[in-house]
Amino acid sequence: MNDWYQQLLNQAVNVGYALLANGAEIYRVEESIQRILLAYGVKGAEVFAIPTCITTTVFNENNEAITQIRRLYQKTTNFDTVEQVNDLCRHICQDKPDPAWIESELQRIAQRPIYPLKWLIFGYAVASFGFTLFFGGSLSDAFCALVLGIIIRLVATAMESLATNAFFINVVNSGIIALIALGTVHFSLAQSADKIIIGALMLLVPGVAITNSIRDVIAGDLVAGLMRMTEALMVATAIAVGAGGALTISQYLWGG
Amino acid sequence: MSYFLPCLYAFIACVGFDFLYNIRGRRLVTTSLGGALGWFVYLSCYWFDNDIPRYFLATVAISIYAEIMARVDKVPVIVYLITAILPLVPGGGMYYTMEYWLMGDASAFAEKGSQTMMIAGAIALAVVLVSSLVRMWKTMRRLRYLKHIGKQLH
Repeated sequence: MNDWYQQLLNQAVNVGYALLANGAEIYRVEESIQRILLAYGVKGAEVFAIPTCITTTVFNENNEAITQIRRLYQKTTNFDTVEQVNDLCRHICQDKPDPAWIESELQRIAQRPIYPLKWLIFGYAVASFGFTLFFGGSLSDAFCALVLGIIIRLVATAMESLATNAFFINVVNSGIIALIALGTVHFSLAQSADKIIIGALMLLVPGVAITNSIRDVIAGDLVAGLMRMTEALMVATAIAVGAGGALTISQYLWGG
Repeated sequence: MSYFLPCLYAFIACVGFDFLYNIRGRRLVTTSLGGALGWFVYLSCYWFDNDIPRYFLATVAISIYAEIMARVDKVPVIVYLITAILPLVPGGGMYYTMEYWLMGDASAFAEKGSQTMMIAGAIALAVVLVSSLVRMWKTMRRLRYLKHIGKQLH
């Protein structure tokens, strides 16, 4: 019988893990796991999730606790998966399917398509193009930012394949942005360097992360909120280090 | 008309970000419309001499849009919310705050930092406000429904 609990716990945590790893909110992860477990009629279930870890305990009929800790190392934002897993979760709570079926369903969702690199590059280019115009840049500024968007995606992909950490990637990318933006303005290819820089940097800056962290704090997930805030501050620091360094270098290269 | 171009730019930027978040198909358009809507509300509330309420009201509009669209489209609200608040979130503010910090400009750091946190706080508060109200409304409807069932049983 404990085997059954083990299996159920495994699959419930798998569902929560898929949600957390693809950018769902903390409360959604906790609620989903708890609802799934309670739907199967267990005596009790406790879930504690933070952005890097899920801890779940389920109680069997003898009030013995079975606990599982799942650590999360890599995170992306994939709302297609979040939506699919959310649907799956609702379906599980209604129909209470066999745990083995849940596993196969999760595998099916994991194999759903994501945008290939060329479309990601397209997204980076369009986003930095749009944001430069949005912040008041001219059309030539925007095209400069568009090229920068392509470059930083390529650099990020190259560095990710070399297993670099996110901090270093942000330092390098923001440095590239500032250096090239100032260079193009120096050679009169574009007008305002700060519009290009901030437009292209929107791809890196953790604006959504800082907002979400405050949301977590207001919602009562204090630990999660603080973790995300620290993360966001570290990203912002990395970007400022990179851009600050590049500004200094460009003074020597292009005289300001 | 002067509002049209900035909203269009916000829309374009949101479409770009949709590719990063693996949002597909017609949702590329519907999620990005939220971003344009938010910026339109922000620009329309020009009579405030302070930025914070404008960010708040723009986010309230986005949140309502996201709640409605999430129900129409049967997806979690976050899918519509995150893309749409992108033009509002203080990414630039975060960057400048850290830059002042690294340059050692303490007063500019404090000023920019507190303004950034205020904006982020206003956006977060608006999101939480709308989602809490929706949750209360849903609970109220469920309670009324249960009462109704209870009466029929008696």
